[in-house]
Amino acid sequence: MKRLRRLLPGLGTYAALYLAFLYLPVLLLPLFSFSEGTIVAFPIKGFTLDWYAQLGEADTLLHSLANSVIVGGSTAVLSTVLGLFAARAYVRHRFFGREISEGIVMLPLVIPGIIVASSMLVLFLFLGLRPSLPAVILGHTFLTVPFAVSILKSAFDEFDPALEEAAYDLGETTIGVFRRVTMPIIGPGIVSSLLVTFTVSFDEFVLAFFLSGNRPTLPVYIWSQIRFPAKLPNTLALGSLLLAFSVLLLLTAEYFRRRAATGQGARKESRDDR
Amino acid sequence: MTAETIIELSGVEKRFGTLTAVRDLDLELVKGEFFSLLGPSGCGKTTALRMIAGFQEPSSGTIRIDGEDVSTVPANRRPTNMVFQSYAIFPHLDVGDNVGFGLHRSGLSRKERRARVSEALELVELGGYERRRANQLSGGQQQRVALARALVMRPKVLLLDEPLSALDKNLREAMQLELRRLQQSIGITFVMVTHDQYEAMTMSDRIGVMFNGQLEQVDTPQTLYASPGTRSVANFIGGMNFLPARLHNEGGGTLDMEIAGFGAMAVGRNPNVADHGRNALVGIRPEQLEIAAHRPEGYDSTVQCRVADIAFYGESIHYFVEVDGVPETMTVAVPNYFHSVDFTRGATAWLGVQAASVIDLGRNRDNETQQGEKT
Repeated sequence: MKRLRRLLPGLGTYAALYLAFLYLPVLLLPLFSFSEGTIVAFPIKGFTLDWYAQLGEADTLLHSLANSVIVGGSTAVLSTVLGLFAARAYVRHRFFGREISEGIVMLPLVIPGIIVASSMLVLFLFLGLRPSLPAVILGHTFLTVPFAVSILKSAFDEFDPALEEAAYDLGETTIGVFRRVTMPIIGPGIVSSLLVTFTVSFDEFVLAFFLSGNRPTLPVYIWSQIRFPAKLPNTLALGSLLLAFSVLLLLTAEYFRRRAATGQGARKESRDDR
Repeated sequence: MTAETIIELSGVEKRFGTLTAVRDLDLELVKGEFFSLLGPSGCGKTTALRMIAGFQEPSSGTIRIDGEDVSTVPANRRPTNMVFQSYAIFPHLDVGDNVGFGLHRSGLSRKERRARVSEALELVELGGYERRRANQLSGGQQQRVALARALVMRPKVLLLDEPLSALDKNLREAMQLELRRLQQSIGITFVMVTHDQYEAMTMSDRIGVMFNGQLEQVDTPQTLYASPGTRSVANFIGGMNFLPARLHNEGGGTLDMEIAGFGAMAVGRNPNVADHGRNALVGIRPEQLEIAAHRPEGYDSTVQCRVADIAFYGESIHYFVEVDGVPETMTVAVPNYFHSVDFTRGATAWLGVQAASVIDLGRNRDNETQQGEKT
């Protein structure tokens, strides 16, 4: 490592520039959302909260927000339940086709969204499912299962199977074992999975655009507003709120994921910095 | 003493696909005994224990506990409780809730449950530890909590899966004696699985030795040591020098043999050996050989040897010696009486052995196959 640093003295600067290029534009969003001017350009004119205040009065916006919450919530529950079964099977059992099946489950992470979206649209129409919120929920579930599986796998990795056997041996029923032992121990992992899959669904645009029909989700609504220059400041305000909300959710999810991975949080504190 | 049967396995088999993990297992355990299943890893002992616990169903055969056929009864409805190798302490519960976990469904009042928990914790010398968290416990304390959690259920049989293997050596030896004392004071039948011969010998009333899914011999530790029924049992429990021999005359209680290197001796018949033949095998425990600079007096057989190597163990010294006519290097164990190592590598010495120390191991199967290949 030291030798590498001597060889390439500019490495630290490069890393800093890289991160700035990646994240500074994102920070411009909240910055301009407080500007009085309707044109996104420096210098910033005045400070106002009007754009935020106006959001509360936009009915279609509130409807699309409600749509997104419905889609996100359903997606989170569906993909976490599916992820729970898959993750447990992958960690606990050695079966034929395990690796291939794991690969296939993770595939949505690398397939281009536009391909997934258009093929799903074709498939759903073929099956007689018109673009609608249920269609978006199905699409998002497909997309978020890999997130759920990888989060829950790390929860099961640290989970000694003898714990479930011990509970069963002490007279608990199968359901009782899940409720009194499995759930409390991997609970943080489940919460983390719910939060992450919700966030992914909440922010997703391409699939929602193809599948939502006449009930847009929030990202689809934002996209439709960008065409109107006068609405741009409102959109910036809305985007800033979404950004803050997403970051908050992901941070919470990460907190729970670590608690799940370390079993009790306090027990293996040192592992938290993995 | 009226020995009452508590566990009865008859013709129990467990197959996983084409692999037979446990084969035709017949075993009767007596109420109140400390029984160990001993064998190398992969010999099927853990599978056998898990079938008694109810985690695995036998492919064929029946398991009875206290007279009742439980072959298909799952673990949560069997009168057995288990101490796991990893202890499996619930990390989200404190010690009291861990121990009281199984009483949840017992119908006892909260007060009664609390009394049972504290009684169980007293038993394992962890009185007053109820509110400790699982992550504040040392390995030895976790082991005790696991014990208390199982014993609080008042099982008819307590099952222990390699209970001491995760502890360091000193703690393990202390716990061996303590577990034994605990078992004797409460009188519950203990069935322990272990691969550690010393652990099995110091703790158990009887030991069942398993190899390749098969129970080879069930006996008291002393009998297993003095009269092992097969070469593998003799080899697994304690050290053993194996010597080929010729059986000249088998009559009554003694066998007239010509033992490689040691010559003619009258060896006591081993009742645990299934069959005898002209090509015989005998064993001599390393500590039952005398090694001396001059020909020792008063032994049934003496022979000259060469010291090939020496290992110093502290409490004893092992000499690895070569004897003319004996195919394998022999081991002689001598107690360290005077803090001295009397022989050096390459020295010649004398070995002495009593006929009573020579263990009859029956027909020599190695020898037969070797001769078969030659002809």
